Amino acid sequence: MDKKKIIIVEDDEFLRSLSAKKLEDEGYQIIVATDGQSAIDLIPKELPNLIFLDLLLPGVDGFEVLKQIKANEQTKNIPVVVFSNLGQEEDIKKAKDLGANDFLVKANFTLDDVVAKIKEILK
Amino acid sequence: MLASYLVFDFFNYPAFWVVAATIALVAFFSGRYLQNRESRVKFLIEQANLKTRQIAELEKINKELETKNRDLYSKDLALTMANKRLQSLEEAKSKFVSVTTHQLRTPLAAIKWIFDLAAKGQLGVVSDDFKKSMEQGLISTNRVITIVNDLLKVDSIEEEQVDYKFQPADLSKLLEETLQEFTSQARMKKIELALEKPKTPIPFIDMDYNKIRMVIENLIDNAIKYTPQDGRVTIKLSDERLNTAEGAVQISVADSGIGIPSADTSKIFQKFFRAGNAIKAEPNGSGLGLFIARDIIEKHNGTIWFENKPAGGAAFSFTLPLHQKKV
Repeated sequence: MDKKKIIIVEDDEFLRSLSAKKLEDEGYQIIVATDGQSAIDLIPKELPNLIFLDLLLPGVDGFEVLKQIKANEQTKNIPVVVFSNLGQEEDIKKAKDLGANDFLVKANFTLDDVVAKIKEILK
Repeated sequence: MLASYLVFDFFNYPAFWVVAATIALVAFFSGRYLQNRESRVKFLIEQANLKTRQIAELEKINKELETKNRDLYSKDLALTMANKRLQSLEEAKSKFVSVTTHQLRTPLAAIKWIFDLAAKGQLGVVSDDFKKSMEQGLISTNRVITIVNDLLKVDSIEEEQVDYKFQPADLSKLLEETLQEFTSQARMKKIELALEKPKTPIPFIDMDYNKIRMVIENLIDNAIKYTPQDGRVTIKLSDERLNTAEGAVQISVADSGIGIPSADTSKIFQKFFRAGNAIKAEPNGSGLGLFIARDIIEKHNGTIWFENKPAGGAAFSFTLPLHQKKV
């Protein structure tokens, strides 16, 4: 069976490598993007099963990435889990209105929580 | 003879009377006139002097007023400038808090993850002692995260960004749910957690569900935190619609804990304030929970207060009006 593919969009190197390693250990194929523009370029090419998206990114931000994904016929059904420093109600609402499946506030979740969330969506 | 004739003649001559009377009248009136003129001149001089004095007085008052006006103007200017400066300081502070706290979340998440993975032995086999240290590290990190999250809450409250969404909700269900969250925490300290509700169910109440939940969580969390083992925490919902002007219900969270020292009672709802005995019992609070709670209750047009119970312990209570005025 093919491995399920996850794109991690995160500019913090440490968090990115930790989550990539953890998810690889869980049996997923991981592709990383370190900023918004490369995420927008990569996602339609790779067509992952899930996108793990930070919101505060250098250049194009995560909200914009989300907008572009949802505007593209090919990518609009890919589930998106937002993982961000932001966590005010209006940020969460904005992301959900743009089509995010879930919104995790950084620091409030452990990596295991994150994996559990992703597993549940990819079930 | 001649003289007497002359005299006689004069007196009998009407022209003489006319001349004499004229002379007398002229003399009389010119005297009066001169006298009048003298007093008039005197009067005028006095008047003039008075006017001069009054003018001088007025000028003096005017000058004083001008000086005072200038003072006031410069004070007004200074105040406006001080106010602007305060405003920009407040904005700078808000921005600082917001940026730093948001930015803190990334490294805090990384630290938390690492402690968590290490404590679970997911980074390789480790000794029990090592695991324990990692668990301690995780607990401390979580405390920092709580403080950071509280700071963000305060920041958003002060910026008035918080949108309140008032919707009719079942308060008694909310209390039950919130209580559930705390059962294991209470069990660990062997604290009896009880909920008292009125026999007749209360109607739905206009509120922002998540905000009110935050308040109740904070009060119960405090009550458990500041109550020693084998204590008791009672949450009581009572229908006070007949006893309050605005038609409200009342929620009280009473504990058998350390209470609030009388020296600290006036400051307990202040930002960053922590009572002396609270710091001893729980060194890691942010001193923001009650400040946030009061803000939320006041935005619901309710009141929050506390009492030390004679038998020991504190009781925090708040009222919630059934209905919120539509804005």
